[in-house]
Amino acid sequence: MFSKFFYTLKAKGLHVTLTEWLTLQEALSQGLCNSSLTDFYYVARMILVKSETEFDKFDMAFDEVFKGIQSENEISKNMLRWLDKSDMIDEQHEEMRHVMNEEQVQIDKEDVEQKFKDRLRDQDSEHNGGSFWIGTMGKTSFGNTGGNMGGIRVGGSTGYQSAFQVIGARKYRDFRDDRILDNRQFQVALRKLRQFSTKLDIPKTELDIDGTIDKTCNNGGCLQIVMERPRKNAVKLLLLMDSGGTMIPYSSLLNELFQSVHKSNHYKDVKTYYFHNCIYSKLYKTPECENGDWIDTEWMFRNLDSDYKVIIVGDAAMAPEELYSTTGNYRGPNGGLSGMEWLQLMKRHYKRIVWLNPKMAPGHAPWREAETAIKGMFPMYKLTVNGLNQAMVKLMTNK
Amino acid sequence: MNDKKTTFTSTSQYVASKELLASVNVAVALQKPLLIKGEPGTGKTMLAQAVAESLGKKLVIWNIKSTTKAQEGLYVYDTIQRLYDGQFGEEGVDDIARYIKLGKLGEAFDSDEQVVLLIDEIDKADLEFPNDLLWELDQMEFYIHETKRTVKAKHRPIVIITSNAEKELPDAFLRRCIFHYIDFPNAELMEEIVKTHYPDVEEKLLKDAMDVFYWIRSIKDIRKKPSTSELIDWINALQIGGIPTDRLREELPFIGVVVKKDEDLETLKHRTD
Repeated sequence: MFSKFFYTLKAKGLHVTLTEWLTLQEALSQGLCNSSLTDFYYVARMILVKSETEFDKFDMAFDEVFKGIQSENEISKNMLRWLDKSDMIDEQHEEMRHVMNEEQVQIDKEDVEQKFKDRLRDQDSEHNGGSFWIGTMGKTSFGNTGGNMGGIRVGGSTGYQSAFQVIGARKYRDFRDDRILDNRQFQVALRKLRQFSTKLDIPKTELDIDGTIDKTCNNGGCLQIVMERPRKNAVKLLLLMDSGGTMIPYSSLLNELFQSVHKSNHYKDVKTYYFHNCIYSKLYKTPECENGDWIDTEWMFRNLDSDYKVIIVGDAAMAPEELYSTTGNYRGPNGGLSGMEWLQLMKRHYKRIVWLNPKMAPGHAPWREAETAIKGMFPMYKLTVNGLNQAMVKLMTNK
Repeated sequence: MNDKKTTFTSTSQYVASKELLASVNVAVALQKPLLIKGEPGTGKTMLAQAVAESLGKKLVIWNIKSTTKAQEGLYVYDTIQRLYDGQFGEEGVDDIARYIKLGKLGEAFDSDEQVVLLIDEIDKADLEFPNDLLWELDQMEFYIHETKRTVKAKHRPIVIITSNAEKELPDAFLRRCIFHYIDFPNAELMEEIVKTHYPDVEEKLLKDAMDVFYWIRSIKDIRKKPSTSELIDWINALQIGGIPTDRLREELPFIGVVVKKDEDLETLKHRTD
C-alpha cells in the first residue's frame, strides 16, 4: 500500500527501513489511522521518522504524494545561491521547494505571486539591494533580508517576520540538520582515546580476586573480601581550535567535533582554547577571540602537563610572515617569538599532538607553504570521520 | 480510576496534545516502545505517570544515569552476599535464585499484570547502552545464565523512553521505536496546562505571567529558555507572594524561578531598563 510514498520518502533522503514500513502497514491493518488522512499523517510520521530534524523532509514527501502538487515554482540552484547571504545573517543555506499557502492575505497576494512567477522565469543574474528583481537587502517583494512588508521570501531567514508567505511555511524546517556529519560517528572515533588507570580517586567497587585470596589465606581460611577501584580512562585532552576567518566555512563541522568531545564524558579532563590562524603567546577562551579574554600560552604549559593529548584543529593556511615573523600576529601580541617557534614549544612540551585540518590538500602540496611546514612538525589528518580515526590511533600509539 | 481502559486520554493532572495521545495509543496497539523527545520541562517524564494513571496500570521507573549498564536493568547476581552466606553456613546458599535480583526491566517483565515501564533519560547512559537492550525490548525476554531461567514478559509492558538528545541514539534502536517530539505548547495549551495545576488561578495573573513568559522565550540572547515547569513554579510563587500583577513586566518578581543563568538575568535587566 502506498509504495509510492515509501519511495518518495527515500528520494527525499529519509532512511526509512523495511521494518518500519511493515510496522506502518500493521498499524494500517489494525485501523489505527481511523480512515483519516490527518491521523494517517501522524501515525506514519511517528513510525517512520525518528528525529525532529527529519520532520521537514517527511512533510515535503507527504505533501508531494498526497496533495499531488508538483512543485511548479522550483527555484533554481543558481537563484538560491545568489540569495544565500547566510554569512551576513548567520543562517544556513536551505534546500528549497515551495507550495503556495492560501492564508494570511494582506495585500493582493495573487498579484504578488504572479509577479514572482514571472520574475522567477525572467531573472538571470544576482541582485542585491534593488527594488525589482529577486534579491537580498532591497525593497523588492521577493527575496530575503529586505524591508518590504508582505512579499514572498526566498531562502535566508526571517529578519522582520514580514514576508506574508514564508514559502511552504513548514513548521519543522528550523530543525533540519542534514549538513552535519553524524555526530555519533565522531563520538565513536573519539572513544578510541582511552587509557585505563586505577590510580584515580573513585570508590572501590570491583572485587580484587588476588587480594581476596591472599587476605583469606592469611585470615586462616575465613573469607575476607578485598575491593579495588575499577579501571578508568585517564586520558586528558587539550583541544586547540583555529577560529580565524578562513575557518568560518567549517564552523558547523568544528561545532560538531566540539560537541562530540564534550559529550564524550569518558575523559578525565578536557580543556578547549581557541587561536586565530596560528598559536602565539595568548590563547583565547572563546571562539570570538576577543582581546583580553585569553590565557597565556606559557600558563598553559605550566598548568597543563605534558600528559595532555593535544588535538589542534586548523586549516594551516597562514601567510608566511604569520608563521615566521616575530611580529606576524596581527591580532594580538607575539610574545617575542614567531608562530613557528611557538609551535615548536608546543611540540617540545606535549608528547602527543595531532593536527586536524578540514581542508588539507591531498598528497604533497608544496605551494601551500604553511601547511607543508606544519605537516613536517605535526602529523596532520583531514577532519573527516576517517581522518579522526587515524588521528586517534596516532594519539594513543604514536605509531 | 480502577476501571481498565485501553486508550490513553488526558488526565486531571496532565494535558496532552492530540498527536501525543495518538502516539501513545499507536505505541500501545503496536506493542512498540515509545520514544519521547522534546525541550526540557515539556513533561516527558510526567507522561509515563499520566499513562499509567489513565490506563490504571502500575508504573515502573528505570532512571538512567551515566554509569548505568544495560545488565543492571535485567538482573544482578549478588555473588558477594552468597559468598558470605556460604562462609557462615546460612540456609539456602545452594539456591542461586535467592541471590538473583531482578532489575527494573526484569521486574516489568516478571510482573503478573501489564505495567508501564519508563526508561527515563536514556541518552544519559553510555553510547552503546541502547544497543545492549535491543533484543530484550524486541523479544521482551532475557536469559539468566546462573539459574538457566528465561524471564519472559507475561504481558508486554508499555515501554516509554525519554531522551533529552544529549547523545544521538543508534539507528538500530530507533528503528524499533515509535517516535514523538513534544512541541513547546502554544499559549492556548499552556493555559490549559497551568489550570490543571492551579484550577483557581486568577485570570489576570495567568495572562500577564504568560505574556512575560513568552516574551522572555522570544528574546534571542536568552541562553536557557524557560520551560513549562518553570512557568508553573513561577505562577505558584506569584500566587503565594501575592504580587499585584500590574507591575509584573517592569519588576519581574521572583524571576529567578524562571531564568536560571546569570547571563540571562543580565540580558533581562538590560531589556527592562
